[in-house]
Amino acid sequence: MTTATAPVPAHRHVSAAQPIAEALNLSKSYGSDSATVTALRGVTLRLEAGAFTAIMGPSGSGKSTLMHIMAGLDTATSGTIALGGRDITRLGDTDLTLLRRRRIGFVFQSFNLVPTLDVEQNILLPFDLDGRRPNAAERAHLLALVDSLGLTDRLRHRPHELSGGQQQRVAIARALVTRPDLVFADEPTGNLDSRTGRDVLTLLASASRDRGQSIAMVTHDPIAASFADRVVFLADGRIVDDRGRCTPQEISHLMLNLEAAA
Amino acid sequence: MSAGAVTGMRAALGEHAPSILVAALSSAFGVSLLSTVGVLTTAIRADDVTGASATVAFILPIAAVIFLTIAVYVGAVVTANSFSTIIAGRTRAIALRRLLGSDARTERRAVTREGLLVGVAGSLLGALGGTVLTTLLAATCVTLGILPDLPYALAEPVLLVPTVVVVLTTWLASWIGSRRVLAVTPMQALGASGEANQEEAAGGLARSVAALALFLGGDALLAAGVFIGLSDPQGVLVALVGGVVSFLGVIVGANRVMPVILNLVGRLFGRGPTARLAAANAVRHPERTARSTVGLLIGVTLITTFVVATAGFQQMIRAAQAAEPEVYAGVDRMLTTTVAVFSVLMGYSALIAAVGLVNTLSLSVLQRIRELGLLRALGFTRGQVRGMIVAESAQLTVSAVVLGLALGTFYGWAGAQSLLGGIAGSPGLVVPTVPLALCVAVAVAAALLTLVASLAPARRATRATPVGALSA
Repeated sequence: MTTATAPVPAHRHVSAAQPIAEALNLSKSYGSDSATVTALRGVTLRLEAGAFTAIMGPSGSGKSTLMHIMAGLDTATSGTIALGGRDITRLGDTDLTLLRRRRIGFVFQSFNLVPTLDVEQNILLPFDLDGRRPNAAERAHLLALVDSLGLTDRLRHRPHELSGGQQQRVAIARALVTRPDLVFADEPTGNLDSRTGRDVLTLLASASRDRGQSIAMVTHDPIAASFADRVVFLADGRIVDDRGRCTPQEISHLMLNLEAAA
Repeated sequence: MSAGAVTGMRAALGEHAPSILVAALSSAFGVSLLSTVGVLTTAIRADDVTGASATVAFILPIAAVIFLTIAVYVGAVVTANSFSTIIAGRTRAIALRRLLGSDARTERRAVTREGLLVGVAGSLLGALGGTVLTTLLAATCVTLGILPDLPYALAEPVLLVPTVVVVLTTWLASWIGSRRVLAVTPMQALGASGEANQEEAAGGLARSVAALALFLGGDALLAAGVFIGLSDPQGVLVALVGGVVSFLGVIVGANRVMPVILNLVGRLFGRGPTARLAAANAVRHPERTARSTVGLLIGVTLITTFVVATAGFQQMIRAAQAAEPEVYAGVDRMLTTTVAVFSVLMGYSALIAAVGLVNTLSLSVLQRIRELGLLRALGFTRGQVRGMIVAESAQLTVSAVVLGLALGTFYGWAGAQSLLGGIAGSPGLVVPTVPLALCVAVAVAAALLTLVASLAPARRATRATPVGALSA
């Protein structure tokens, strides 16, 4: 198991044996009773600390909704969520905001960066929001990250001066810089060409392997999912399969079966 | 009519409501001003013991035309800005139609047609409102005995002039504001780019040089006016031309000047993430920012000019009075009345400018909804988002007000100095007087405007949810 060897950052108040995030019997419906759409039907999912988990499923399977709720972006209709051992189900808007700021990192498909800030300011935004400067250790971590992502000579650039791949690497740096409990990646390669996409996936995988970063990635791309330690399949708001590392071929096969069953 | 067409029209009406309001305010102002002048001229003619009616009949319309021109100009700038902001939000839709084979000129003509409709609707509404208002006002004054009971002509053909002028300037403003339609490419319909390229910092070198030349040339004339004024009151004519030319330079170069001022003002708000983002947003589109603040700048500059000039007159006249009391009896009160009336008339342009400021901020929040959602996802609290919008609004207001106060103090001082620098008993050159009451009034008005301008946009901005914004 990867978590056994991964260094666990000191501020985490959970042991590696416990799940870093946990959804219990999660349900979510939208709309009024005349036109209700059910996105999740009793999903239970534990994400292990330090693991890189892919959440897969066809369009409309509920995978994005699951991610939004687990990341404190949306609220569940029923069920509970815990993050880092703490129940976050009933938190109000401000507490959820602080939670996202301090303990969750995000990488989105597009529109990841604040266009008016340069690369360094974008990466440091989570600290800025907290009204503090990074301490010496965090500063060293930042420099190492920027270096490993090849962004050292781009720190003064603005997002519109960067390629899509570079922008996504900045977003990854921003997501990793606070060493959050969990990084959520929503189709992180959706807007990239396949080679740049593979680079981004390699970066995410190595953050998990080398730094013990827990990552949950929502995707419908079998190649992207093949970079993860574990692949969870959703269909029609339920978890229908849950496997360890898979090849793209195996994942494609499973996905085709899901599409056929739908 | 299909339901879709109705929704489309309602959306367009919502977008254009502020432009219609601006057109209505301008034409109401023009119509009221001209009918008031008509009423006053009739009243004064009937009561002509002093034989002054010819002078009044000559001066009043000229003053009315000057104020009307300023109001219409500010209104046109505001409307051009509203249109260019609306176009920025429609880029995708326009790009899609271009993709399907529509040509750029047709697209721009469609926008200009909306401008004509907005102008006609707003101007007619305003003319109607203005006429009703003046009629009621005249009737009230007659009842109260302030005005003699005479057959006043309140719906004269001349009132068509401001109405038509407002229609035409609104139309022209929509044409200027829709220039960017020509730059939309069909490719923009395909890309997922949120904000691919920042609006060009723009304004060619020629424009900057012209602005600088106007400003410096005007200032030289002002200095000459002040110098001549030390011996001859006709120096004020030179100074007047200098003031107009110099201020024209400021307006032409506003797209260069305002970002600099905004940067300085932005620093006053601290270096927190909220303040820093607000500062960056305020100078994000220099052209748009310049246009949304220039109306306010004009209003504040004009009011300050008049107030400071009057304070200067009073100061010099008091000094002269001390030397030769009988010559200057009663001048003080007349000056105070004049400045009060002029300030109200100038303040009207500031009101039109304020509508524009509110509108620009609202539209820009609407267009940034995804970005605001991203900030919420990354950990901006609702309070921080609201704080950011209020700070943006405050920076725009404060910048226009500070620059307006500075320019107005300079112009006002030069005006007073060039007119009265050489009067009997004058102390020669004096330091400009900035009345405390003016500063307080301007500060209060600026604070109110900031608050009002940020109210609706801030509410809209805090409604941005991360999920809604990011899945849109």
